[in-house]
Amino acid sequence: MKPCLLEIKNLSKFFSGLTAIDSLNLKVQKGQIYGIIGPNGAGKTTLFNCITGIYVPEEGEILWNGVDIKGVPPHKIAELGILRTFQTIRLFSEMSVAENIMSGRHIKSKQKWYNGIIPTPGYYKDERYNWEKVGEYMDLFDLSQYAATPAGDLSYGVQRKIEMARALAAEPELLILDEPAAGLNENETKDLADIIRKIQAMGVTVMMIEHDMDMIMSLCEYMTVINFGAWICDGVAADVQDNPAVIEAYIGIEDEDE
Amino acid sequence: MTKTNMIALGVLVVMGFIPFFADSAWLAVGTTFLVYSVVAFSQDIILGRAGAFHMGHAAFFGLGAYATAILNTQYGWPILATWAPAVIIPMVVALITISPIIHLRGDYLLVATIGLNIIFIQVLENDLFGITGGPNGIFGIDVVRAFGYEFMSQTNMYYMAFILLGITLFIMKTLDSSKFGRAMFYINKDDIAAQSMGINVRYYKLYAFAIGAGLAGAAGSMFAVQYSAVSPEAFNVLQSIMFFTIVLVGGSASLPGVLLGTIVMFVLPEVFREFAEARYLVFGLAMILTMILRPRGIWPVKFGDIPSFLKKGTK
Amino acid sequence: MDIFLQQLVNGLTIGSLYALVALGYTMVYGVMKLINFAHGDLVALSSFVGLTVYTNMFADGGTSIVAVITVFMFTAAIIAVVGVLLERLAYRPLRTAPRLSAVVSALGAGLVIQNSIMLIWGPNMKIFPSDLFPSTIWDINGVVITFTQVMILGTSSILMIALYLFINRTKMGTAIRAVAIDQDAAKLMGINVNKIVMIIFVIGSALGAVAGLFIGIYYRGITFDMGWTYGLSAFVAAIIGGIGNIPGAMFGGLMLGLFNALISGYISSAWAETFTFMLLIIVLIFRPTGILGEKTAEKV
Repeated sequence: MKPCLLEIKNLSKFFSGLTAIDSLNLKVQKGQIYGIIGPNGAGKTTLFNCITGIYVPEEGEILWNGVDIKGVPPHKIAELGILRTFQTIRLFSEMSVAENIMSGRHIKSKQKWYNGIIPTPGYYKDERYNWEKVGEYMDLFDLSQYAATPAGDLSYGVQRKIEMARALAAEPELLILDEPAAGLNENETKDLADIIRKIQAMGVTVMMIEHDMDMIMSLCEYMTVINFGAWICDGVAADVQDNPAVIEAYIGIEDEDE
Repeated sequence: MTKTNMIALGVLVVMGFIPFFADSAWLAVGTTFLVYSVVAFSQDIILGRAGAFHMGHAAFFGLGAYATAILNTQYGWPILATWAPAVIIPMVVALITISPIIHLRGDYLLVATIGLNIIFIQVLENDLFGITGGPNGIFGIDVVRAFGYEFMSQTNMYYMAFILLGITLFIMKTLDSSKFGRAMFYINKDDIAAQSMGINVRYYKLYAFAIGAGLAGAAGSMFAVQYSAVSPEAFNVLQSIMFFTIVLVGGSASLPGVLLGTIVMFVLPEVFREFAEARYLVFGLAMILTMILRPRGIWPVKFGDIPSFLKKGTK
Repeated sequence: MDIFLQQLVNGLTIGSLYALVALGYTMVYGVMKLINFAHGDLVALSSFVGLTVYTNMFADGGTSIVAVITVFMFTAAIIAVVGVLLERLAYRPLRTAPRLSAVVSALGAGLVIQNSIMLIWGPNMKIFPSDLFPSTIWDINGVVITFTQVMILGTSSILMIALYLFINRTKMGTAIRAVAIDQDAAKLMGINVNKIVMIIFVIGSALGAVAGLFIGIYYRGITFDMGWTYGLSAFVAAIIGGIGNIPGAMFGGLMLGLFNALISGYISSAWAETFTFMLLIIVLIFRPTGILGEKTAEKV
């Protein structure tokens, strides 16, 4: 059996007595679009924060290509090939779209420490190459017209695209999306779904948290449902939709008196 | 050419030609401006770009000045030979002292850097190891000698400081268009997002401190030669506050802003000596008013300096 | 042992003064996350104002409890007004501005106050009369303690306990703590944040005024620029003890006073500030929220 790309084993995270994640297990295969769903406060973002190194879990393992990356700092996680977007968009809003996406090229740049002070031929080549790459990603997301516009001046839907372009510019193996459709209207959501499929076609594995059920069910081949930080169930869309434990988690138990 | 580049070039051209018109007294003011603007720019790298709350920069300025002073007067080194130590010593001190505290929250880092400055001043005033000269400082610093020639005149000093400013502006331009300079901006604007993009916040903040300290040290060496003397009060916390203020009042990471700030803070008092008594009162009021009216500084930075081929399809 | 006990007495005295000043810093920082750099200069101002009040009101000299209390209350009132003006003019307009802008404004305000002192009272040192308090001295087994020191220790303790009770046992105190935790939520609960901020500045300034007067009486010589260094040390004390937290400021102040006294006694007062800041840096590295501070997490 092929080893999976990302495996979470018995993961637990506590915050001063509160159990945010409770012995969670899941496996993400390369090339999948994997969904993480659950009611608000279930621990989904906390899970992502543990994977990306912002939090250090107390128990369990996070295996990336078989190697435990629990506790690795965020910047090293990015170097390993895991990039993310945030629930509340975290763009560099005063900077232009191009400059924002250029931050994704940071780990791909080959400049040496002295290039901060002295330019060399290698430096000029590196700059040119990476800016061209930024151009490519802007084209891909239809953002080229906004290249010089401050990111904060643009609409929410466009900002989401910028955030994804930025993460993609780092050429990740795994892209983690935290509620990418939050705040988007129906058209924008459809666009987003197309973009995510395009990303999958590029060979990137995607893991996403979402509340928009239509989107999740149509995009994600496989998903895990979480509540109170613990596994409720996992499976393909059809199975999860009908699972009574899942329905209970979202809606609650039917009142017997009614 | 971008607006910033044009302003930089314009300033260099103007400053380059001043010695043809100005007398020795004005040249001295000009030299002071050049030296202090280098320090201000070096503070800008740390505070304006990397966003580290640093209020002890005068110590790095002073380390360079005292390195030249001590090596020259106590150990007989020629001034030229002191340039390398004047740059390297502040860099090394910065890396050693700032490493353990670079992760601190803004306000705490602020107070810690003030502390480092104060420790530096006490080391100077207490004449540590008998070489730092005590509260009166060190006198009798030599001039630059090279190729059998003595660079003694005010014009000579002016041009040396001018060249240093030119180098500083060149370094900052390179920095801004490099992965390192950009990383500093990203950290400043949102350090969590920056980390998620693979940027090692600690490394780049220390990088900023190292370059900033080195440039300030070089300026310090110029200062020592210009005044032939150094004393602790030129490098105390009040001076650090001035450099800090210049960057914020002028405009963080803004080339014209920092130049404007330097002119206001250091050159005007020289010009208006009669008002010397109420000088700090006026400064204080100016600081308060500027922040209320222009919280981002008089001439805030503009981003968007991207290659022209990317701008072609833009609105 | 004698040196130690003597330095203990001196240290606690100095520490009480630091604590009074530190309380002003910590209250403002706790609520507004602002380092009120002008606070130290306000303390210096109160020394000068107090001196003028005393020499004008009681020109024929003579000390009495009434006189002393009048001077203290009058000065505290004046400084409280200055403190409120300071907040209104230099800080309130910047409540929503980036943090660094408020820092620059605070520094500017400090310079304004300091320079004003110099312009009004002149650049030279002024001497406090020695007859505000009786010069009684007690000698206990070789350890000397003066009337002034007892007054300082006693008054500070009373004020600090009163402040602690106020913050923790009264409705107003609870409102203050609420604003310190979350300004917006407090507003939604109907708390008038502007009023709370004003009260904090009144209390902090008044405490600072008491400290300023005691500083004048204890050290006798006052200079227009003493506020900056003194204030900085008090702020360091507040950080070491745990910023934003009343017991922290008190503990930090006393600890710093003791530390300074011991360093001065056993090593040399020329290096006192160096040791103070080295202590600060060590505390910050190992206990970043201060010795009595609480940890807070940031939500990502």
